[in-house]
Amino acid sequence: MQIEQATPTERPRLRLSADLLGRMGLGLVVLLMMTVLTILQPQYFPTRENLTNIARQVSSNAVLALGEFVVVVTAGIDLSVGSVMGLSMIVVAMSLHAGWMSGFALLAALAVGTGVGLFNGLALTKLHLPHPFIATLATLNIARGATYLLSGGVPISGLTPTVRFFGAGEVHLFGEGALALTFPVSFLIVMALYSLVWLFMSKTRTGRHIYAIGGSPKAAQYAGINTNRNLVLVYAVSGAMAGVAGILLAGRVNSGYPTAGTGAELDAIAAVIIGGASFFGGRGSAVGVFLGAIIMGLLRNGLNLMNVSVFWQQVLIGLIILLAVYVDVLRRRAMRLED
Amino acid sequence: MLRRPASVVMIALALSAVLAAQALGGAGQFTILLSMKGPGSGNPFWAAVERGARETAKALGVKLVVLAPPAETDVQAQISHIEDQIAKRVNAIVVAPTDVSALNTTFDKARARKIPVLFVDTDGTWAYKLTFIGTDNKVGGALGGKFLCDSLGRKGDVAIITGVMTTQSIRARVEGARETMTKCGLKVVAELPANSDRALGQQVMEDLLTSKPTVKGVFAANDLMALGAAEAVKARGKKGQILLVGFDAIPEAGQAILKGEMAASVAQNPYNMGKFGVQNALNALQKKPVAKRIDTGTILVTKKNAQQYAK
Repeated sequence: MQIEQATPTERPRLRLSADLLGRMGLGLVVLLMMTVLTILQPQYFPTRENLTNIARQVSSNAVLALGEFVVVVTAGIDLSVGSVMGLSMIVVAMSLHAGWMSGFALLAALAVGTGVGLFNGLALTKLHLPHPFIATLATLNIARGATYLLSGGVPISGLTPTVRFFGAGEVHLFGEGALALTFPVSFLIVMALYSLVWLFMSKTRTGRHIYAIGGSPKAAQYAGINTNRNLVLVYAVSGAMAGVAGILLAGRVNSGYPTAGTGAELDAIAAVIIGGASFFGGRGSAVGVFLGAIIMGLLRNGLNLMNVSVFWQQVLIGLIILLAVYVDVLRRRAMRLED
Repeated sequence: MLRRPASVVMIALALSAVLAAQALGGAGQFTILLSMKGPGSGNPFWAAVERGARETAKALGVKLVVLAPPAETDVQAQISHIEDQIAKRVNAIVVAPTDVSALNTTFDKARARKIPVLFVDTDGTWAYKLTFIGTDNKVGGALGGKFLCDSLGRKGDVAIITGVMTTQSIRARVEGARETMTKCGLKVVAELPANSDRALGQQVMEDLLTSKPTVKGVFAANDLMALGAAEAVKARGKKGQILLVGFDAIPEAGQAILKGEMAASVAQNPYNMGKFGVQNALNALQKKPVAKRIDTGTILVTKKNAQQYAK
């Protein structure tokens, strides 16, 4: 049994069943939170306006968390995502103000995000910096400093309708008048990105390699997986996601401001942890992280609707992180006992 | 396996306990949202704004909701709580914006719901604001600068410790002080950023004492940085030899002035911001006229009058 567990074919199956349980649990938490909020705030919580607000509010954190998740699966961490989001925002705003077409401005922001991510990955694999914490702590500071330098410390406001569309736009799905169903574009992008990453991580060979690297880097290497190439890839993905998050936020607030995303990496990491990904790598799913981001959004929205001080929000998010991980510890212990 | 549902219930119970405790509030015809840059318990300045608003709301019989992001740089948190309160149909919004323009799209949503928006403390770029209620920070900065001019005999080296320079009020203070000091004959030899943070203020002052020993006076764009600087000066055994001027006249700065650790501070009137904010929001809701710009005033606080600010 021990030997079988260590073979690559057996591991994903065990992981899958554990994931399924975790996912159902998180789904229950979301449903329960929505029920509690509907009971406490029947006039305000279940309104279309409020639900749209939540969808927009969680968008940039959800995208940051998705990039962070791919990194965490390899047992790594990316501390730079908040700063990269800020940098991407300023790049979009400045390129537009320099007269660039919207498409090029968006590409520039994506390129900057991906570039910082690539740098993180290469610093880890080529410069052999001992832990991703170090390279990404460095780029956290570099990107934030660059954001202030580029913008001169002042916000750059007034973006084009195209950029605004991604962050603040709505698409009309079907129906007319009061029954018309519209959907925030930013949340559609979130769902599309999550679907893509989910497919990539669970259905492609590269995705399975990434899980294998996080589960056991040595075993992955012996199995002939190119660890370095995959590590560079995950940090590039994380950087690109931070770039997208910056675009969504810039579109939402119609401006690029240099303090944007300060500390946002911690929210992204929190969503990943609440979503059930293991910090030791090899475990977690995009679906779980999505629910993790939703849980954080629901909590903040609920507390805002109830006029609760921001300090309670911080305390509760801390408690939820503790609980989520403790439950995970219990679950794994139960699994070992079953074996 | 059954542990997870149990924990779910625990989360839900904890959440509903907090929520229910907050839900029981008084009634009132109008609800006004006061959205500040920082929580009142984190900074005495915001505590005074909150007190002014709460006491006025109570006297006028309106319902008041006070919210703030955890840090003055957390624009997204402020956007979220304002949006959530718009969804909850507050009647008016009194806001100290964390960024001069990043909240404009949020205010557009308020405007679509015919909710008047009043700026306090920090003016925003939003075109449809009802009014701006706050200190003329440039005049305040100039007041602090003039104090250094007079005390130092209009000659010598001075330095400026700047705050979060994305904030309009901080920029205006620094401009006012710089202009006045340069004009009167003082030489500004350094202008260093300390992010409006006390520990950074101390650190910057330590470096300044080393790199620019000729500096005889320092203008800091807020009291937290000035108090940090005062620690650094005290540690070097130079207490009283370098004149430190802060801004805001928070109670601790008042005490530091009485002890001679700081020379002066510029007092805003944050209580008035909360008070005028609520008063004028109610005026707007009752269709009474509201002035486009309401000044809350500045006063120079020195040893002579620091007692009243030291509590």
